[in-house]
Amino acid sequence: MKFLNIEDEMKYFQKMFLLRREIENFLFNEGFMNIEPSIFEGYDEFTTINSRIDQKSMVKILDSRDILILSPDITTGIINKFMPKWESNLELKIFYYGKTYKHNGTGIRENREMGVEILGEKNKNTDQNTLSVADRILNKYSKNYLIEIGNSKFLKGLMEACSFNREDYSNILDLIYVKNKQELKEYLEKLPYKEPMDILANILDLEGSYQEITSQLEGQYLNDLMKEGLEELEAVDSYMKDVTDKIIYDLSLVSELSYYHGIIIRGYIEGSNKAIIKGGRYDSFTEQYGYKVPAIGFTIELDELLKRV
Amino acid sequence: MALTIAIPKGRLGNQAIEMLKKAGVGECIDEKSRKLVFKDKKRNINFILLKNSDVITYVENGVADIGISGKDMVMESGGDIYQLYKMNIGKCKMSVAGIKGKKIFKDSTILRVATSFPETAKRYFDSRGQKIKTIQLKGSIELAPILGLSDVIVDLVETGNTLKANGLEVFEDMYQISAVLISNKISYKFKRKEIKEIIELIRREDENGKSN
Repeated sequence: MKFLNIEDEMKYFQKMFLLRREIENFLFNEGFMNIEPSIFEGYDEFTTINSRIDQKSMVKILDSRDILILSPDITTGIINKFMPKWESNLELKIFYYGKTYKHNGTGIRENREMGVEILGEKNKNTDQNTLSVADRILNKYSKNYLIEIGNSKFLKGLMEACSFNREDYSNILDLIYVKNKQELKEYLEKLPYKEPMDILANILDLEGSYQEITSQLEGQYLNDLMKEGLEELEAVDSYMKDVTDKIIYDLSLVSELSYYHGIIIRGYIEGSNKAIIKGGRYDSFTEQYGYKVPAIGFTIELDELLKRV
Repeated sequence: MALTIAIPKGRLGNQAIEMLKKAGVGECIDEKSRKLVFKDKKRNINFILLKNSDVITYVENGVADIGISGKDMVMESGGDIYQLYKMNIGKCKMSVAGIKGKKIFKDSTILRVATSFPETAKRYFDSRGQKIKTIQLKGSIELAPILGLSDVIVDLVETGNTLKANGLEVFEDMYQISAVLISNKISYKFKRKEIKEIIELIRREDENGKSN
């Protein structure tokens, strides 16, 4: 943020302070506990546990012994802090405020973030509860908001059933990412036919209300992982009945972060050109520490939200 | 809420406007006027006329909800947008060309490539394992190999007449190019119904065009 005069700058900081405090109070009253994320992470350690973040965009720091980075993703840091000493019966509901840093080609971009993580949950309704927290935050600041919900299990199950090679896999994901339906169809037609490809070719139509999606899936190929994904969405859908006009489902939702496995959440406010809320379930991310701890969370883009308040 | 559509000025834009008018939207656009913004009050659509290369920027930043741009521009910009529909206009190819009879792809040395699409050229030759040096030009790309500035060029080829007139030939075709209807990612969430209506109108017009 750049300001021409002190008055504007101070106004901005006071607004940011109030917004932050308001959300923090809300989360605290919902039973979340605060932690302070660390600013530095070890470069080697970080890239081993999260290979998906672009290494060129990381801000590296050399001290006399190690290469460090300024944290580009707070969730990864928190997982790496807690998982090595995790105890099997623990349940943590935490929130944080922190900054992430990325090189954007011209300089270092600093981003304020607030986030929520639920680790080791016992409750079956955690997907729903997390969505409800996200929904209430958005609802507080705008009446014109939307929550987009996907489930990575569906696409993963579908892609696995097609057993693509690495190159085809990533090309197909790229086409889905930009919603290029025609080229996706053309690409699949060139490959040897497999039954699941029929759904994959039409995956970009699998969006809208939950009913709109399931009506298109009748009699189509479904494997266990895809069914699991759909069941999780169905549970969410029956829970969120009173806000259905604010919810859109999208089974083609592809996340930049590979660690999501299950529900993916995005929250938007009309007039803003950025997702305000981003998150999802990432149980499988914890597996690299030797045990699977259920985990779900999301971040709130404070700078972007402040523009809309 | 109004839908804002970005349309490029020039040949592609004129074809697009003609198509939109046939499909029943955009009657309010008057190409002969110097105005750059037109409002279709009945359908609640705004049209903005922009320089060809600016369409993606306006759409990516959410000033326009959707826009019409060439696939060449979309590939080159790498903009974070949706590519919702490939239109039946603005068709041509992106090809590698060079001096007739002098087809050179060197394994051991670095190929000099003159082009106005350096990113796309890099990606294409990278995937084939050919090392290149790009020389970015804004126009008259055909001159580069003739005057020894480059070994080959990467450019859009429609009829191939310009190449032929300059003693060049196509070595290989890289990509099929056509106009693409692009969308801002967030606009698509909030205005999905309106955007899909426009695509459906264009799609029907495309099919009519094909069957005629």
